[in-house]
This record gives sequence, C-alpha cells and structure tokens, in this order.
Amino acid sequence: MTFESSPEQPDGTMPLQSTAQGQGPAPLSPQEFKATAEAILTNVEWVIEGKSHTIKLALAVMLAEGHLLLEDVPGVGKTQLAKALARSIDCSVRRIQFTPDLLPSDVTGVSIFDPEKRDFVFKPGAIFGNLILGDEINRASPKTQAALLECMEERQVTVDGNTYKLRSPFMVIATQNPVEMEGTYPLPEAQRDRFAARLAIGYPDINAELALLDRREEYNPLDALRPIADAEMIVRMIAAARAVHLAPELKRYVVDLVAATRTNAQVRLGASPRATLQLLRCTQVLAAMDGRDFALPDDVQQLAVPVLAHRLIPTTETTMGGGDTKAIVSDILRHVPVVSHPGRF
Amino acid sequence: MNAQRHATVVAAATLALTLTPLIGIFEGLGWAFPVLLTITVIAVAGSLMRAAGRGQGLQTLAMAAALLVVLTAGFGDGTGLLFVIPLPATFENWAYLAQEGVAAIIVNSPPVEAGGGIMFLTILGVGVVAILHDMFVVGLRTPALAGLTLLTMYLVPVSVAPEATAWFWFILPAVAYLWILGDDNLRRVSSFGHRFTGAGQLVGRSFPSPMARTARWSATAFVAVTLLVLTVVPANTSGLIDNVAEGMDGGESYGLGDVNPWAQLSGSLTRPEEVDVLRVVTNDPNPRYLRMHVLDELTNDGFEPNDYDSRESLVLDGEAEGDTYTAEIQNLRLEAPVLPVYGDPVDLAIDGNWDRDADTDVIIGSGSDMGDVEDYTLTYADPAPDAETLAAADGMSRDDARWEANTAHPDVPELGEIVAEEIGGAGTVHEKVLGVLRFLSSSNGFTYSLEVPDAGNDEAILDFLESKQGYCQQYAAAMAWMLREADVAARVVVGMSQGSRVDGDEWILTSHDYHAWVEVYYEGPGWVTYDPTPAGGVPGSVSFPWATDPVEAQDPAEEPTENDITPDPSAAPTDASGQTLPPEEGASEGPSADATGGTGDALLPFHPGWLALLLLLAVPFAPALWRGALRNRRLRAGNLTAETAWDEAMDLALDYGVSIPDSYTPRQAAGVLGTAAPGARDAATALGSAMALHRYSPRGADPAGLADALRDLYAELDKRAEPRVKYRAMLWPASLIAKLRADSAEQSARISRRSARTTDRMRSALRRPRRSNNRGKRGVTGRA
Repeated sequence: MTFESSPEQPDGTMPLQSTAQGQGPAPLSPQEFKATAEAILTNVEWVIEGKSHTIKLALAVMLAEGHLLLEDVPGVGKTQLAKALARSIDCSVRRIQFTPDLLPSDVTGVSIFDPEKRDFVFKPGAIFGNLILGDEINRASPKTQAALLECMEERQVTVDGNTYKLRSPFMVIATQNPVEMEGTYPLPEAQRDRFAARLAIGYPDINAELALLDRREEYNPLDALRPIADAEMIVRMIAAARAVHLAPELKRYVVDLVAATRTNAQVRLGASPRATLQLLRCTQVLAAMDGRDFALPDDVQQLAVPVLAHRLIPTTETTMGGGDTKAIVSDILRHVPVVSHPGRF
Repeated sequence: MNAQRHATVVAAATLALTLTPLIGIFEGLGWAFPVLLTITVIAVAGSLMRAAGRGQGLQTLAMAAALLVVLTAGFGDGTGLLFVIPLPATFENWAYLAQEGVAAIIVNSPPVEAGGGIMFLTILGVGVVAILHDMFVVGLRTPALAGLTLLTMYLVPVSVAPEATAWFWFILPAVAYLWILGDDNLRRVSSFGHRFTGAGQLVGRSFPSPMARTARWSATAFVAVTLLVLTVVPANTSGLIDNVAEGMDGGESYGLGDVNPWAQLSGSLTRPEEVDVLRVVTNDPNPRYLRMHVLDELTNDGFEPNDYDSRESLVLDGEAEGDTYTAEIQNLRLEAPVLPVYGDPVDLAIDGNWDRDADTDVIIGSGSDMGDVEDYTLTYADPAPDAETLAAADGMSRDDARWEANTAHPDVPELGEIVAEEIGGAGTVHEKVLGVLRFLSSSNGFTYSLEVPDAGNDEAILDFLESKQGYCQQYAAAMAWMLREADVAARVVVGMSQGSRVDGDEWILTSHDYHAWVEVYYEGPGWVTYDPTPAGGVPGSVSFPWATDPVEAQDPAEEPTENDITPDPSAAPTDASGQTLPPEEGASEGPSADATGGTGDALLPFHPGWLALLLLLAVPFAPALWRGALRNRRLRAGNLTAETAWDEAMDLALDYGVSIPDSYTPRQAAGVLGTAAPGARDAATALGSAMALHRYSPRGADPAGLADALRDLYAELDKRAEPRVKYRAMLWPASLIAKLRADSAEQSARISRRSARTTDRMRSALRRPRRSNNRGKRGVTGRA
C-alpha cells in the first residue's frame, strides 16, 4: 500500500475543473468521441485479449462517471483491465489492496501533527486519484468499505471537519472474488447500488489465451502502453456524452425496464431510480462511442444486465432454485416492449 | 382418428349441415346424395394427400381433381375417358349444362327439379366451396375464415328462395360454425397440455372458463334481444332473385319451357326473363288463346290440373263448325307434356304419339313431349258462339256425368253470400257469367297486380275478393269458383295468350304470355272461353265478343273492331265487361304492377341485384382487399414516413409468420426480417435504420426509398413463403386479425368485467349477503 502525496495539494481544498461544463475547448463531435474511444479500447485490448465487449462497457461506465464492480475468479485479468484503462488515460492511478485490517483513514487520509509547522497537516489517503483500483473489496471490514463507498458517492472526503474534493475524473474499479467467501464481508445491497455496473471478465477462449502467451514471452505489454488521452480529454468526453439525445420513447423504455424489475415475481427488491439514471447515462456514452448523438434501445439492451443485475435481490425461492439476477434481467429484456402500447395488454 | 382426419371430418360434416337449407329450393331429396358424395370424395382426396405429408398446393390440386372426376362421372354424358377423366368434349358438355343451369336459375321459381344444368351448377358450386372450406378449416387452420364459406353456402338458398327458406334453417349453419370454432379451440387448448383453473385445480379440456361463461351470457342476451326486435320490427323478406327477376307483365312463370298447371288464389308472381317460346304463322287474323292444361279440381287454394286419365287416341275428323284456320307452330323451347292448340283442332300434322283426354279435350303426349317437337301444323276451327245463342242456352244438366267434377267446390259460406248478392237474381247461365265478369271487372275496383295482398281472411279467395288485386290465376280461379258456387259448370284453362305480332301473320309467344282463363259449359255450344283478368295486365289478351249481354251488344261500333286489336297492348283493349280502359290503368296501380309498364330492359345483367350477388361472391376476398388498401394508403407519397413504412414491414412480418417480439428494437427486428428474406436484407436494414432514426434521433428520418425497400421486402417474403403461408397472407392476413383483436380485446375485457360485476350484483341482490371468509375462495376454484 503506497501513499503518494499529490503535487497540487494546497492545504484544505482541491482546485478542480468542473465536470460538466468544460469551459475552454470546443465540444467533441461524435466522430472525435468515437475515434478517441476506439483508440483507448484498442490500447486496452492490447493487454486484455478477446474481451473487447467487456472493455467497451468498462470504458462506458467510466465515461458515465460511474464506478465499476468487477466480479470474477482470480487471475482472469481484473487488475490488468483496471491498470490498462488507467494507463491509457494519462491520469493518476491508486491501488488499494483491501485486507481485514485496513482502516478507513488508510482510504481517506489522516491529519498528522507536523512538528515543524506546529500544526496538523492532512495526509491524503489512497482515494485521492483519478482511477482507484480497489482489490478484493469484500475482504475489508464493513467500516472501511463504508468509508470508501461514501467517497464514491459524494466525490469528496471529510476529515476533521475539513472537506476535500476528489479529483475528476474519478472512478473506482473494485474487484471481488465470488468463489472464495471465507473471511469476507460481502457488500450489502445498499452499497452494491453505488456501483454503476458489475462486469465479469470470464476466461479467455483458446485462441486469445494462446495469443496472450505469445505476447507475454518477451515483456509485459502493460509496460508498453502509452497514454491515449489525458484527464482533460476525459472530462470533455464526459461532457460530450451527457449531450447525447434521449428520445421520450427511449426514456419510457428505460423506465419500463426498471419498473419491470420492481414488479417481477422473482425479485424481492427491484432497481432504484439511481439505477435508472445510471442506465441512461451509460446508454448515452455507448451511443457516443458508436459515433451517434442519439441513443437507441439497442444501447440500453447491451447495458441492462451489467447495470441492473447486481442491484436486484432475488426472492429466496429464486435463489434456492438456482436462478440468478442476470437471468431475471435478460428475461425482463425479452418481455418489455421497446415501444409501450398503452392500449394493449 | 388422428387430428388431421378428425378435422377433415368436422369440415365435411359442417359443410353438409350448412347445405340443409337447399331442401327448400329443390323438389325431393334426390339432390342430397350426389352433393354429399361430392363433399365426401373431396374430403377423402384432401385427407389422403395430407396423410401423405403433401403441402397445401398439392392438397388443393387433389381436391380439385376429385371434383373433376365427380363432375365427369356425373355430368360427362359418357364423353370422359373411362367415364372419369374429362376430355374436351366433356368440357363442351359442361359449358352447355352451365348455360342451361344459369337460364334455369333465372327462370324457375323454387322448388325446382334436381337435375340437368341446375344440378351441375350445384355440384360445381358445392365442390368449389368444399375445397375452400377444407383448405380453411384443416389446411390453413383458420376456422374463423370458414365462416365465410359457410355464409356463402347459406346465402345461396336464402337469396334464391327466401320464402322457401324458413328462418330456422339458419340454426344449422350457425351450429356448424360454432362446431368448427369449438373443435379447433379444443384442439388448440389440448395442444398446450393440461388445463388448470386459477386456483391450480387440474380440469378437463372442455371445462368451462369464466370467459366462456361471459360469452354464454352475452349470447343469450343477444338472442333474446334479436328475437324481441324481430317481433317488433316487420321483416322485409323480399328475395334477391325475386327482385332481379321481377319486371315484366303477363302470363305465368312456372318455367322457361313449361307452364305451371295451377291456378292459385294467393301468392306472388315471379317474373322470369322473357324468352321466346313459340313462333306461330297463321292465317287467323286475330288468334285467340292457345289451350294447354285444364284445371278442374278445386281446393281452397285454387284449381289443380286434371289427371287426364280418360285418354283415348287422337282422332281428328277434319270437320268443324265455323271458320277454320291453319297455324304452323314452331317450338322454340316449350317442354310441356301437352300440346298447345287453338280453338277446336280439325287437323294436326305432328311427329310422335299424341292422345286426347276425353274429359278436357287436352291433347297430351303419349311417350311424346313438346320437348321432342320442333314444329307442327294445326288446322282448327274458331268456335265463336254469338251472345244470343249463349243467352238462350242452358247450363250443364245435373244428370250429366261431368256435373259432379265440374261444379264441386269447397264450402265457404262467405263466398256463397257474395255470389248470392252479386248474381243471385240471374236466371240463365249467361246472366250468371256476365254477372261474375262484371263483379270482377275494373269498374268494380279490381286491378291487376303481381302480388295478392294478405287481407287476413282464412280463405285465400276472400283475400283476393277483398283486396281486389291479383293476376290471371286469381281472376280465373275466382270466376270459376264463383260460377260453381252458382251451380254453373266451370273450369280453369292454362295456356298462352295471343302473344305479339311480328309481322303480317307471324306471331311470337314468349314466356311472359303464359296465361290462365275460364271455360264455362253451355248445353249446346259446349265449353265457352272467358277471360276475367283485366286486359291492361295482359299484353296478349283477347276480348271475347260473346261475353256481352245480347241486348247491349247490338251496338255495332264497338264490337268487331275491338276484336281485331291487341297485338299492341297500348291500343286500349276492352275488358270483359266491354268498357274501354285507358291503356295504363291496370298497370299504374300498385308497386308491382308498375313494373309492367315496360321495365323489361331491367332484366339485363346490369341489374343492381347482380351487383349484389357479385359483392356476395367477393365477401371471402374482403380481408385481402382491406389489407391491400391499407398497404397502398401507407405507401402513398403523402403518408409515407419511416413509421408507416415500419408499421407496414411489421405487418408484413406478421402476415408471413415471421415472429418479431415487441421487445425487439428496430435494428433487431430488421435483422430478423433480413434472415427471413435474405434477398431483401438491405431493404430490411434500411427500414430498421430509418425507424430507429425516426423514433430516437432528434433529426428524424428521410422516407425516400422506403417504399421501394418495402416492395422488395414484400416480394422477397412472398417468394420465400410456402404456398400455405402465402395464401393465408393473402386471404386472411394475420396483421388484420391482430388489429381487430387488439381493438376488441379491450372491449371484450370491459364487457367481461361489467358482466361479472352485474352477475355479482344480481347474485347479491338475490341472495342474502353472506359474511363468510371462504366465499371468495370458493368462487375462484369453482367448487360450489
């Protein structure tokens, strides 16, 4: 665990560009957005073989200012993905390895007494970066988890009565291992809701794994990655994505989808309005990455499972019957009409 | 029995049930066997082809072939190869039969004899409908569409013979239709697996559902309302063919080639198309009526023909009183068993064997028929007794052997009173005759009408005498009856009136010249002819100079000239009482008589009735036309947007059975369409993208080129579809049904809810309210 002090760190507050309104440069055209996004994706794919769809969704979540939960078995490249994404963007990356003895102050930072200045000086924690990689988040104690999740939601840290804004872009990529559950503190549902999406990477197929072996014979490709965009570019992309047109029919479709999770018989707790918001924002990014300035229901359908599934709490019967929430969301996608017909049943 | 065979049997049985109303238009049941045989053969052919796993096209072909075989065997007249395979000569024979059938349909009024052209058309029609019916019920599995075939079948007897088709015949087709629908639904339901009630109780497949209960309630209510309305609103039962055929004047309408040997006291006259029946060349300057049948058996309904059972061989002595004339008569299409003759035949040159009936003097074929006679030459005397002779003559003696047969009449006291009042003071036969003629004359208010109004009396003759409207049958029958009531021997004669002069001595007698008149017996002169029918209604009518009082008849100015008249009915014929009538007087009374004024041209094929028949035949194509109109409307340049184009594409997918769930985005749907129609993948993609742009982009989509894309898609889908799917898409487009269903689903749900509420309310009003916890549960599970 390393703590790097940030250079632009005056006492107290952090100077920040506003996320939404980049004032100087002209807004990105859809084509520029698409080109940049594709360049980042190609870069990351250099490291993670054959997972372009997962990478695309991960980037989309990032550009929607959401946090990402990677849930998969060890060794499939969760950390690699996070690192590659971070390297492709010229921004600061922090990694926190969560352990049961990690304290909240390790995440947020702590005020220590500086004998020379005879005053308390704030030593920022690992959270002060653009891209935070939280490894095995479910190994931390609930108290530490709560501290992290609070920062994720509020994008600021309050220590000793002082509030410190976090950087922008700010994105947490947390990983957790769904298999090895001994000695873990599984994330409560309320906290899982803070993650915009949950992705699984999955094992590579045979060819991708062979290519991976070939490439890694000589060096680690991660070391060869060059940044494609800087933090400022990412902020502009975020702003451009927010301008993507959402037709009333599309909004209605998203609302119908989310509403369906709430009335589904297999679900004890459905998705929240926050889910609706985040689904729409991710949809906008995905549309922009396709070079469009308007979103399509196809974008929504690609995102529905990653964005909605981890927020649902299935009924006990569903769990016992081996059903999982991804299947439930897929089922909802198959049944909710793209255009609702108020007259029809 | 497997499902396919079961459905085939149901289809055939329902069609057979629907044919039962044909009983009303055929004489006897002889038609039933060939019709049922045709249905059976077609069903078996279709079923065998299905059992062999062949497609709809081959099934239809097999059924059509079966129909051809049946027609060849039944109507080939031996022209077919091995009697079952039609050859060109067979088709010629059929064309002839079809023509004959069409003519017979137009001319005859039901019930008709089941044979010849009519039977051919019946078998052909039933066969075609049977093929369609089998196709709809079994092949395409669209039993709802079978309602159209059943309706078509049912409408034939209804439109041809509304009076012969009693209302209750409708029940059988209706039951047949319900049977098809119910059977198909049970098949469908049982293919789902087991049925459960809402409470999870396993029930049999025919267990009634709450929806069915609602339907039953609604049906009962509708039937009740309909019956109620029918009792209040007077029904209009004028038949299609009646209206088509109605139009001309004069004569009988028993058939094109035969006269109806009946003189009924009620009913309405159906006017056939006018066709030429006889051509006469005679040196008689003013021929009178051609006698055919003698009707001397009187019942309450009118006169029935003599049995002609006192036949003797025809011997003509060549001598007669009065002037003799010679007529060469050419038979154009008369088919009667009796020979039409003028006056008293003196000499006859004719082929075949002919007898004379001693009682009636009718010349009747003995193994011969007018159908076999092309022409004959008749020499005859025109018996023209003068009024004075008749005035002096006595009636038939009571001792005469013929007395009983020619004066017998039913006992109708009211008629007796009328006769006593009108001619009670008359002494001689001739006075009685003149009295009756005066009573029936137009000066007494009698008019010619094609229909006898129902005046509500028990006896038809009283209806006629009260309403004073009728045609020749009623006049003749009434006069003869009244005379019999006054103890005068009288009988009705049916034949043909004078016809119309073509030129010089040539006369044409048409099917409108069939007529009925009266013969009265005088001791001495014998049977003397009178015509009580108002002359204005009968174009070829002749006046009889002896039908006058000898005292009045002294006026020479009136009599002889009037006799020479009347090839032209407008030339002011005299009626029986000797008064001159304005030519149109008889014709201008009453709506039916109006038609006599010269609307014969209306019988041309452009009569609105034919249009209605055409529309009827178009009924099965209504969905196809509707669908086509919808497509054209959407593709019209002004209406075409990406959305209408997309709606049309989605409807096309539905029609051709390409399944596109509601949850598919336009792009996904376009992908599915592209897979279904690989040749039109680009078109489908263009349509999908346009729709996506239209719906989701702030700028919308450009509809240019979408119409062409749709046409490509339509052509490709149509090309790739199996014949079965193709026909169904054309004749019974699923998209149309889906629209109707979507519209009606909401309404039926509303009705269902309302009826359930009403039922509950009624129940709670009837029963004491019960506060029981398990009441609701009992309602749900259906356990009472």
